[in-house]
Amino acid sequence: MNSVFVRHKWEPYLWLLPSILLMLIFIVFPIAIVFKLSFSHISPAGVVGDFVGFGNFQKAINDPAFKQVMINTFIWVVSVVGFSTLIGFGVAVLLNQKLFGRKIVRSIVVFPWATSLVIQASIWNYIIKYEYGNLNNVLLNLGIIKNAINWRVSYQIEFMWECWVGIFVTIPFVTFCILAGLQSIDSAYYEAATVDGAGAWQKFRHVTFPLVQPSLTVSTILNIIYVFNSFPIIYTITKGAPANKTDTMITLLYMRAFYDRQKGPATALSVIGFVVLCIVSGIYMVSSLRKEEH
Amino acid sequence: MTKKQKIRNKHRWLLLVFLSLLLSIILLSLPVYSFRQIVYSKRHANTPVDSEKYIEAKALAQDAMLPFGEDAKLNETVTHRTNSKGETTTMVAFEVGVKFTRNGWSWMKSGLLSGHILLIAFGSIVLASLFAVLSYQSGQKIQDKHAYHVKDRRLLIACVLSLIALLLIPVFAMHANYTFNRNIPFLLDDNALDAPVVQQGMDFLFTQEQDPISAFKGLSFQATGFLWMLFAIFFLNLIGLIKLYQGEIAAALLTGFKYVAVIVLCVVILYPYFVMFITGFRTPVEANDMRFRYIFPTKWIWSNMTDILNRGVPQYLLNSAVLSAGATLIAMLCGIPAAYAMARMDFKGKKAYLGFVIMSQMFAPVVLLVGISQLMTTLKLNNTILGLIFINAAFNQAFAIWLLRGTFISISSEMEQAACIDGTSTVGALLRILLPMAAPGIVTTLIFVFINSWNEYTISTVLIATPTKKPITVGITQFSSFNMIEWHYLFAAALLATLPVIVLFMLIEKHLVSGLTSGGVKG
Amino acid sequence: MKRLLALLLAALLMVSVISVSTAAEPVTLDVIICDYGPNTQNWFLGNGMDGSNFVKKFEEANPDIKLNLEVISWNDVHTVVSTRISNNMAPDILNIDTFAQYATEDLLIPVSDYCPEELFDDFFPSFIEQSVIDGVCWAVPDLASARALYYNIDLLTEAGVENPPETWAELEDVCQAIIDFYGGEVYPWGMDLTTDEGQAAFAYYAWGNNGGFVDEEGNWNVNRKENVEAVEFAIGLYNKGYTNPNPATQTRYDNQDMFASGKTAMVIAPQNMPTYIKDKGGDINFGVADIPHNEGATSGSVGVMDRIMAFKPRTELNEEQTKARNEAIGKFLTFFYEKENYVGWVSMEDFLPAVNSAVAALVEINPDFEAWLAVLGNARFYPTAKPEWNDVKQGVIAVQQEALVGGDIQAGLDALQEKITK
Repeated sequence: MNSVFVRHKWEPYLWLLPSILLMLIFIVFPIAIVFKLSFSHISPAGVVGDFVGFGNFQKAINDPAFKQVMINTFIWVVSVVGFSTLIGFGVAVLLNQKLFGRKIVRSIVVFPWATSLVIQASIWNYIIKYEYGNLNNVLLNLGIIKNAINWRVSYQIEFMWECWVGIFVTIPFVTFCILAGLQSIDSAYYEAATVDGAGAWQKFRHVTFPLVQPSLTVSTILNIIYVFNSFPIIYTITKGAPANKTDTMITLLYMRAFYDRQKGPATALSVIGFVVLCIVSGIYMVSSLRKEEH
Repeated sequence: MTKKQKIRNKHRWLLLVFLSLLLSIILLSLPVYSFRQIVYSKRHANTPVDSEKYIEAKALAQDAMLPFGEDAKLNETVTHRTNSKGETTTMVAFEVGVKFTRNGWSWMKSGLLSGHILLIAFGSIVLASLFAVLSYQSGQKIQDKHAYHVKDRRLLIACVLSLIALLLIPVFAMHANYTFNRNIPFLLDDNALDAPVVQQGMDFLFTQEQDPISAFKGLSFQATGFLWMLFAIFFLNLIGLIKLYQGEIAAALLTGFKYVAVIVLCVVILYPYFVMFITGFRTPVEANDMRFRYIFPTKWIWSNMTDILNRGVPQYLLNSAVLSAGATLIAMLCGIPAAYAMARMDFKGKKAYLGFVIMSQMFAPVVLLVGISQLMTTLKLNNTILGLIFINAAFNQAFAIWLLRGTFISISSEMEQAACIDGTSTVGALLRILLPMAAPGIVTTLIFVFINSWNEYTISTVLIATPTKKPITVGITQFSSFNMIEWHYLFAAALLATLPVIVLFMLIEKHLVSGLTSGGVKG
Repeated sequence: MKRLLALLLAALLMVSVISVSTAAEPVTLDVIICDYGPNTQNWFLGNGMDGSNFVKKFEEANPDIKLNLEVISWNDVHTVVSTRISNNMAPDILNIDTFAQYATEDLLIPVSDYCPEELFDDFFPSFIEQSVIDGVCWAVPDLASARALYYNIDLLTEAGVENPPETWAELEDVCQAIIDFYGGEVYPWGMDLTTDEGQAAFAYYAWGNNGGFVDEEGNWNVNRKENVEAVEFAIGLYNKGYTNPNPATQTRYDNQDMFASGKTAMVIAPQNMPTYIKDKGGDINFGVADIPHNEGATSGSVGVMDRIMAFKPRTELNEEQTKARNEAIGKFLTFFYEKENYVGWVSMEDFLPAVNSAVAALVEINPDFEAWLAVLGNARFYPTAKPEWNDVKQGVIAVQQEALVGGDIQAGLDALQEKITK
């Protein structure tokens, strides 16, 4: 067994204590405040008032933008997590092979991870400007296009750009999680598969994929949480305009809380988001753990 | 495969090399570079047809046509419009278009830089073919080991030459576009840097008396198409050489594809950083240039950097460093014991603890703003970096524990067990045996937490009131405020904020994978 | 519970929690100032024009008062203030655009409590009027700006337009002429319907059509016929291709940038536009005119005014402390509006003043100010003294943005009217 000698039954808990305390005070306590606020009346200026039951929740759900924003949130999470996992997988497989300059490429791949989201979002906001953006500049000067293209011709397209930025910043994390999984695979498995006459695809399907799955599970859960909670990208590029059509839940609740001064419904919205997130990641975790056991 | 077959195959590939050489010569002789230039374009508002002004304008346009002879064509459009007051206005537009062609040889002789590039590309292909033939013959004649070696080296040189030619074609296309794809008025105002290039281009296309005053636009699509053909032919040449060299075309292609994928990946990832860099050193005018004149700054304004340094950036950087270092320290102090327990001990509630850790990540900091701010007030930590340190440490606990636990699990516990049997305490085992062994993983986690704290934005915005305590992510918002975005300053500051982090990340990149390894194995 | 947690924390990490000494002698004022442009922060806190800054000068002049002054970007200021209020951490002095919500929620102290009389009398009376609710003045104006039409003379002349448009019909003519002539290379009309300042666009068109936010009695009336027409006209300009392509995300500053580089022919902008154009390196020949209005309506400028207000103390103060605090606030205001400081502040970002005593000095610096002050005199202001203003503002922005993607304007404004008068 990989465990050390423990003298007392309570000893492990003592080891956990600092981290539990840290999180309890600085995360759980604020969460509790937010829960409390979601049941309180909050004045437009921000003064916290009396208990109002589920009034805030009702208001949050009756928000005219609620439906559109839920759809957006769904598209946002699924597309960003999905595509970044897909692309990240490809990149990881690529970087797991013998390549000239692999070290440099790996260092480059971590760049987006190492850059603050606000900065990333600002850069991309600049890049896709129609009138003076850098994408048009480069493409025009290289002679690839003849006239400047409006890269943000409609809000759907703008939302796609936001998803792209989301994918862009998420790829490194997925890549390295999967790369870690790939590198822990013993080459003996492949040798055995070769002896059994397996082709490249079969090797991937029956050796690589099952062995990488644990890394994939964790990276996907963390990604769902991070992507769902991601705020600066959309806030910097469109601020949800026009009329909340490009908002996700997090940016909507920010707009509602601080622009529209409806803090009560906004906190209720955040509690709803929390519950949804718990359920989604719970289901995902349970189902993939069960799959692993099979 | 018999030897005969092998030789026949080689003949075939050598033929391909020759064929591609021949094709490229033919292609360069064809007059395929066609130019459709608008040499004169002028609109006249409020100019009714047959009025004095109209006749004058038309005469001007016809004058502009003269030097171009048969090639030129005058196009006249008349737009009538009735305005809200019932008055009718007329606008006439005259456009003189010229269409003519050039071939590759004349281009090479033109003295344009793009012509030189084409010449080098073509020369490389000729040389490559020559080397191929030489190596082929020497390989045939002398059968000893040494000769094969020579042959291989010659073929390798041929491959490289051919590859150079291949890469030069897009460079040629780019430079040709740079020369021709522009409007003359730009030359006339402030485009001093490009003036010689444009002048050369004009000399190549037009004689002295021909003066394309108003517009000077592009290689036509046709030529671009032929350029791609040239590219394809050179590619064939390269394939032939590779086949001669190795024979395994599938492997060669796959390798080629891999490298293409890697290059595309790097270009895409580096692109925003490239933008950040070049924009950070532009003048404000060029950062907002709506005529897209230059990819690179005409003048590198290094003083952007000193300007932002005078606007509080060093203090912000220092704050960020203190904040991140503090957060890292606390996150590690709390995280290492927890990860140790998770990795090495069996106890009830392990799963519950894990659930708790994951749950703690489920609220976005934005959502918790009110709660956190209230907590800070309660603890009298409002408007202090210390408060931010604790918050960042707490928000990074989950990741730190996950990474550290993975690292610890990947290290065998035999030595610790032995030490424990010898009477060392668990603390001693951790400190003296496990930690030194887990150093790479710990460094990874350290830097990871550091970077996350460095990049945090939302909470700092609300918690920190005093400007001298702001971290860099909040500090740079002064360049992108609601009132005016100073792109050049914003990106110069972003560069300063990003660089240290990227360097740190590159340092741990090697350990990152091993740190993440088995971190994900079973929750 | 909170105290317990606090204790635990202290025990756990042995961190000496920064002790806040509550020594009574120097009064500390928390001040929040909005970031008006690249010079604001420098003027207040950095090495201002003459190597000194406002805070330093103030503290030297008033050694018994300490200023904890922050300059916050307009992007974040509402977030920061709202969060602080929720946590009973409101600033002492706040500089922001609206005040009515704070006043109705009883968070402010009346101006008469702290503002010295001679200073109070110095403010333009028409400005002060707009900070009065039920006879009590709750805030003082810190600066103002007025909007007018800027047009690129060269672009218009070349396209055959001699005079800038006065009416909506003429505006459409000019736009069409520009489209005909430049074929989309130049945007005729700059429009900003963004979340940042879409309410200004509503005001330009609604006021130019005899509409507006409120009726003659000062009651909300956002869904009247004139307003619907006005928004329809504005959206019509967009649909006909006369405007910049993305009015929902292109702010006024984007439009100003485009105007400065000759990409946009006409734009509505404030008086500091010439400076802005110069800063952006623009080299254009432009003129200023009244904002176009509908036939039969009158043109008027749109004025925007920001204010300074004082919040109630966070903790109970005894009479003496209250007096000291109010006095300190009064000293801050007096110092701020002192001629040399105030003239520096207003001219720094080229705004218009709010006090009489500064006018002469400012006109000396920039003679254009005289004309602008006249414009300001005719300007109409947002009904910021009504507590529902924020809802109305966000509401009209949403209606306009919705209309950009095909929403029903009448229905949107009806719903808004119902929401705010409920």
